[in-house]
Amino acid sequence: MKLENEEALDHLIICHKCHTLHEEVEIEDGTKALCSKCGSVLYRFDSKLADYGLALSATGLIFFVLANLFPLVKIELLGHEQFITIPKTFVALFDNGFYFVGLMCAFLIFIFPLLIFVINFMLFLLLKLRKSPDFTKSLLILLSHIKPWSMSDIFLISILVALVKLIGYAQIDMGVAFWTLVIFVGIDLYMSKQIHVSEIWMLRRRLYAQERA
Amino acid sequence: MIEVNEKELMRCNVCGAVNIDRGEVTPCRRCGSNIYHERFSTQKSWAYLLTAMIAYIPANLYPMLITKQFGSVEGSTILGGVVMLWEHGSYPIALIIFFASILIPIIKFLVLIYLLISVKYPIGKDSKIDKHKLYYMTEAVGPWSMIDVFVVAILAALIHLANVEIVAGTAATAFAISVFFTLLAAHAFDERLIKEYR
Repeated sequence: MKLENEEALDHLIICHKCHTLHEEVEIEDGTKALCSKCGSVLYRFDSKLADYGLALSATGLIFFVLANLFPLVKIELLGHEQFITIPKTFVALFDNGFYFVGLMCAFLIFIFPLLIFVINFMLFLLLKLRKSPDFTKSLLILLSHIKPWSMSDIFLISILVALVKLIGYAQIDMGVAFWTLVIFVGIDLYMSKQIHVSEIWMLRRRLYAQERA
Repeated sequence: MIEVNEKELMRCNVCGAVNIDRGEVTPCRRCGSNIYHERFSTQKSWAYLLTAMIAYIPANLYPMLITKQFGSVEGSTILGGVVMLWEHGSYPIALIIFFASILIPIIKFLVLIYLLISVKYPIGKDSKIDKHKLYYMTEAVGPWSMIDVFVVAILAALIHLANVEIVAGTAATAFAISVFFTLLAAHAFDERLIKEYR
């Protein structure tokens, strides 16, 4: 295989699922390219990616803040009312001396999800403004490192499982934060399905190349 | 003009850029992360996996959840919790916990052991198992093991009255460590190894 120079490697893609080598071809706006071997998405092309990304991450951030401020669930047990918020779940572990689990939960359900949305927001904003290519690079690297460690969706299912365990013992009321968390998780899942980090890298290359030209 | 062998091309684990394999360590052209040649990756993955497996033993022996009710203290292990839910008739939840806390970790251990051995000693060379798919699936279901830890955290935060209190047990820490290291082991495993021995 002959290549012009090492830059030409940018036009090659290795499928992230089955590691088959592909050549990048231009595709129409709003369509996606699939791996010829395993059928997984190689990349999408969307001319409005930065706008969508910015809008989604801003919305996600708002809902995440709301989900952390208000009570998730309220229960009434033996005449006493109790409620939890997201921060309260891992703070309670700290109070009981479970530092490792508490720290892990704090990272998995609070710090990483928040960080991912903040990074996405800054990333799309900078890409839209076409500023600081070095900083967007560091943000992208950080993003791909912490992406697998965000577990808001799993936490949401855990809330339901925990509540089922309490049925019959306590009166259960869903709080505002539960519904905002549902929306946040929805946005989170939609974003990680629709916008792959590799597509942001492609967008970055495209935008800064335009800038240079 | 440069001449490259297609087999020497590899994907950066961090950013996905295509790179030319330059031996031991190749810094990625795009993001600068080091892409290691396969030499160390199985050792690292083995170490994490063994830690996870060792931590899984106390995770099953010690109580996960301790209920203090009017003076009586009762602990329930992971398996005990599943059995209790089953007896109470919450079959779907019992199944979710059974899958997330017992089946998934064990399957993940076995799959990783199989993958780690098969890339070194090609025992599965002729078999029709799609190892990429197998690896990808373990990566996808792995984090769901955390359900039980989160459930314990939620219950412990929610129920702490004077007479009735739920606190996390020793197994919560052990189980969290086990899941954490299984995830690390899966991340440390180098998918490129699968291709080399096909």
